[in-house]
Amino acid sequence: MSFIPGQPVTAVVQRIEIRKLRQGEHLILGFSIGGGIDQDPGQNPFSEDKSDKGIYVTRVTPEGPAEVAGLMMGDKVMQVNGWDMTMVTHDQARKRLTKKNEDVVRLLVTRKSLEQAVRHSMM
Amino acid sequence: MHSCAICSPLASLQACEFPAEEQSPSNQTSLAMMQEPQEMVEETVTIEEDPGTPTSHVSVVTSDDGTTRRTETKDMSTNQKVTKVIKTITRRRYLPVTVTETLVVPGGSITPQSKPSTPVPTTFPTTTPSPSETDPVKNTKASKPLVTKMVKTVTTRTVRQVPLGPDGLPLPEGSSPLGSYTDSIDRRYLKNGERYITTPQATSTLTRSYNNYNDSYSDALPPDLGGSQYGGRHYGLHDGYGIGDATDNYGSLSRGVNFRPPRYPYAMANSYRPENSYGTLPIRKDDYGHVAQPQVPMGSSSVDLNRSQPERFQPEPYGLEDDRRSLGPEEEEPYDLEPDYSTVSRRQGTLPGTNRGRTMREPLRDGPRIRGYEDPIEAELIDERHPYIHGMYPAPLAQPERGSMASLDRLAGRRSPSIDSIRKDPRWRDPDLQEVIAMLGHPIDPVKSNAAAYLQHLCYENDKIKKDVRHLKGIPVLASLLDHPKAEVHRKACGALRNISYGKDHDNKVAIKNCDGIPALVRLLRKTNDMEVRELITGTLWNLSSYEPLKMVIINHGLQTMTNEVIIPHSGWEHEPNEDSKPRDAEWTTVFKNTSGCLRNVSSDGAEARRRLRECEGLVDALLHALQSAVGKKDMDNKSVENCVCIMRNLSYHVHKEIPGAEKFTDPSVLHAPGSAGPQRKKKDDAGCFGGKKAKEEWFNQARKNGENDKNYDTLDLPKRTEPTKGFELLYQPEVVRLYLSLLTESQNYNTLEAAAGALQNLSAGQWTWSNYIRATVRKEKGLPILVELLRSDSDKVVRAVAIALRNLSIDRRNKDLIGSYAMRDLVSNLPSGQQRPAKNLEEDTVVAILNTIHEIVTDSSENARSLIQAQAIEKLVAINKTSQSPREDKAASHVLQMVWSYKDLRNALTKEGWNKSHFQPTATGTPKAAKNGKPGYDDTTLPLMEKNQDGYSTIDQRDKDCKYKSSGDGSVDLTEREPLKNDTNRKHYVRSNRPAVKLVDACDVKPQPVDSWV
Repeated sequence: MSFIPGQPVTAVVQRIEIRKLRQGEHLILGFSIGGGIDQDPGQNPFSEDKSDKGIYVTRVTPEGPAEVAGLMMGDKVMQVNGWDMTMVTHDQARKRLTKKNEDVVRLLVTRKSLEQAVRHSMM
Repeated sequence: MHSCAICSPLASLQACEFPAEEQSPSNQTSLAMMQEPQEMVEETVTIEEDPGTPTSHVSVVTSDDGTTRRTETKDMSTNQKVTKVIKTITRRRYLPVTVTETLVVPGGSITPQSKPSTPVPTTFPTTTPSPSETDPVKNTKASKPLVTKMVKTVTTRTVRQVPLGPDGLPLPEGSSPLGSYTDSIDRRYLKNGERYITTPQATSTLTRSYNNYNDSYSDALPPDLGGSQYGGRHYGLHDGYGIGDATDNYGSLSRGVNFRPPRYPYAMANSYRPENSYGTLPIRKDDYGHVAQPQVPMGSSSVDLNRSQPERFQPEPYGLEDDRRSLGPEEEEPYDLEPDYSTVSRRQGTLPGTNRGRTMREPLRDGPRIRGYEDPIEAELIDERHPYIHGMYPAPLAQPERGSMASLDRLAGRRSPSIDSIRKDPRWRDPDLQEVIAMLGHPIDPVKSNAAAYLQHLCYENDKIKKDVRHLKGIPVLASLLDHPKAEVHRKACGALRNISYGKDHDNKVAIKNCDGIPALVRLLRKTNDMEVRELITGTLWNLSSYEPLKMVIINHGLQTMTNEVIIPHSGWEHEPNEDSKPRDAEWTTVFKNTSGCLRNVSSDGAEARRRLRECEGLVDALLHALQSAVGKKDMDNKSVENCVCIMRNLSYHVHKEIPGAEKFTDPSVLHAPGSAGPQRKKKDDAGCFGGKKAKEEWFNQARKNGENDKNYDTLDLPKRTEPTKGFELLYQPEVVRLYLSLLTESQNYNTLEAAAGALQNLSAGQWTWSNYIRATVRKEKGLPILVELLRSDSDKVVRAVAIALRNLSIDRRNKDLIGSYAMRDLVSNLPSGQQRPAKNLEEDTVVAILNTIHEIVTDSSENARSLIQAQAIEKLVAINKTSQSPREDKAASHVLQMVWSYKDLRNALTKEGWNKSHFQPTATGTPKAAKNGKPGYDDTTLPLMEKNQDGYSTIDQRDKDCKYKSSGDGSVDLTEREPLKNDTNRKHYVRSNRPAVKLVDACDVKPQPVDSWV
């Protein structure tokens, strides 16, 4: 997942569709994110490359919508409903995810095990 | 000590010793497999009647385990009848596999001792038990396979009243009656599960039995070849022959004779019948015994014999080799037979049977004949034979024995016209040991050689005789014969020494050394071109090399000679290859196998031994060449390859400390040399040392640099070489990685696999430039999946070596990530779950090694810790921690658990699965601190001993390690993510003291707290 700035990034991704859970007037996805270009990437415990400023899933509520959909702690979010998430601030990412008018978010996420699965199959 | 073995990851393995070898490569494995009742005796009785005879009958037999008693009934019922009773006794003997000697025998490959091959724990090669040696030597007839099966065919013919008329003659071979017997026999065997139905009926009796013997092998062997398995035998026979050489023939016969007839040994056995000692001697006498007997006496039945024999014999091609082999298994029995034979008539009677036996066997011979006997010699032999023998045996084979006997007889002063009569002669006795040893000094050379050969025979697998020979001062005499100008003499002396040198009794080996036997052997190796003698010499040296104190002596006297005379020429390597000369492949000769086995043993004798071997000119080059040629030819399962890889592994042990000039590769100034990627990476590894102390910028730069280096890993530039590497430098060049990986991929030999993994382990240990290259190269060569695959091996030691290699490889950060993700499941699946061991039932050492590897992988990588959790490892770890009987497993498991718990971000997941903190705390030891203090005792050995900069590793303190790693490896990993164990005050202190540095960084540079938003 490391990348070289200016070069296209290749990643193995999984498509995850999360249907938000409505609680009162809150829409709940059931996970938390960390990271963003305005954050210290060095503190991201999940990234392999400590200069990676991407958005990562830091926690997932047990049995919440995200978990049900297959999202896992440590996943790196690549896109949200088609929007790139690799070069956004933390807040931009949060906003993309929490649109009140969208009941469903479609994520492209990548995680090490995916990459490994692919690599493994090629090895 | 064992701790080192296990753990020291860095450590490398040493090989061990291998017992010497054995000569016959053949079936060892299969032998091992056969587990069966101790001994089974099967007897089949067949009755043959002469055609036209109305009745007859007979029978008999019996069997019991120990002995077979045979009853023969002759049929006297009718006049003019000739009844033939054929009794076939098949005896199988299963020797327990555990016996070392036994193991030794046939297949060299089985390591006689389980231990021997084990790598020696790191430091000490010495630990290796001396494996025994196998008797490589087996010489002679003696070679007793583990499983001995003996087939006896006894035919008794009673002639009544009527002399044998032409019609009265027993059936010609192939006649229907015989056929019918055979059938019945076959059936019987078939019941036993024989697969082979030998077509030629004639074969049946003997072959069959072999087949039985072979059950396990059956697939591999064509039925006819049954005999071939006994490769080992074959050697034995040769030796045995030696004994047989008649004094007279001796001069002219030289080698040919040796190869020749198998019979001769038997004859010896019978005639010499040593008292007690013989009991154990494997002598395959039966058949032969019978055969032999007939030759001599011309008794009443002789007529019959003469007639019938020629016919039977002629068909025989005399594939001697096969013959021997096939006969091989039958041993030891002869005594039983004795009683019957005591009377002349009986004996004579037996002849036909014997013949038949042979005839039947013939088919066997065609195929397998391995070594052609030399025809010319044979012819010669024939000429020398006595006329009457000629008549009886068209085949020359029988003769040598005669000759030999004769000579011995003469020696003993009892010359008798015929062996038979000798045997019967009550006055006859075998020369006792003392007399035999005295004969070694006899002025007549053939006497010397015969005596030596006889000694060899007597010593075969008989420790008591070996000891007696030593006590009677026979060993110095034999050693002095090594310098004898006559080939026959030094050859036989060598054979005797080989047998004597084999065995657990090290005093014999020491005795050989004390009379300067080792230099004498080496001298002879330089002098002789006779392949057989070279085999014997190197076999003896192999045996001797299994005894620790002799290793250095062998190195001192024989290293360069063995290298120059054997290793280099047989490896195909050339010092300065001509342009037109094609590269040659290695030849896996017995000599090469023996020599490499010897070097393998001596290579485990510590740093000095390793140094000598590394510096021995051409040795490493030749071994590598041989291995490369093995890989090229896809011929990697043999013993020679195994030996070579083991030597390489041993020589790779501690290269980073023992190579002259090694310091400069670890010297920081070198590391920082511009232009080389290695040093930079190295620096990264070193970062742990300074991590916490550096100013923040530097710290960050470093981290950034590390990141860049990460990217560079795969394009690692190896240093350019101006001139080709040679000698010991070859040991640790990244090019060897491909070689070892090929072996790991292709070889089926567990010892080879273990050694190849051990070599990688050794090379990837330590902190010097080359090990960095090696670790990166393993990855680039796609070696990690190969290693991981081997974690599934059925062999305990392979799993262990691979696990430790992975641990060392994971010193490289990229490797650690890959291993963490690819290997975790396989590592975990090797752990016992609860009380139950996994199917493989791995030894404690292996389990501890795996746990340590897991610990290493999980350290400093929460991602890997996560993989560990996903692999369902926690349950197993907790179970080990709670229930394991082994304190070492226990501790290793609890370290892993503590490490896992230290990742705060994983606790959620853990708690969700029902784990709580108590599961991750050290159990019995009370406070964590105590646990930690306890650690060094066993644990630092389990941790990589990186003397230089890796204090973190060997130190006890877990959190110490954590901190270091954090700062080093990841550079900027968030400290808070990993919480130190709460109750550890030390730790808190430590963290606190460290925090400032970290905080500084945080405060100045970045947002103090990462934002984490729920969505």
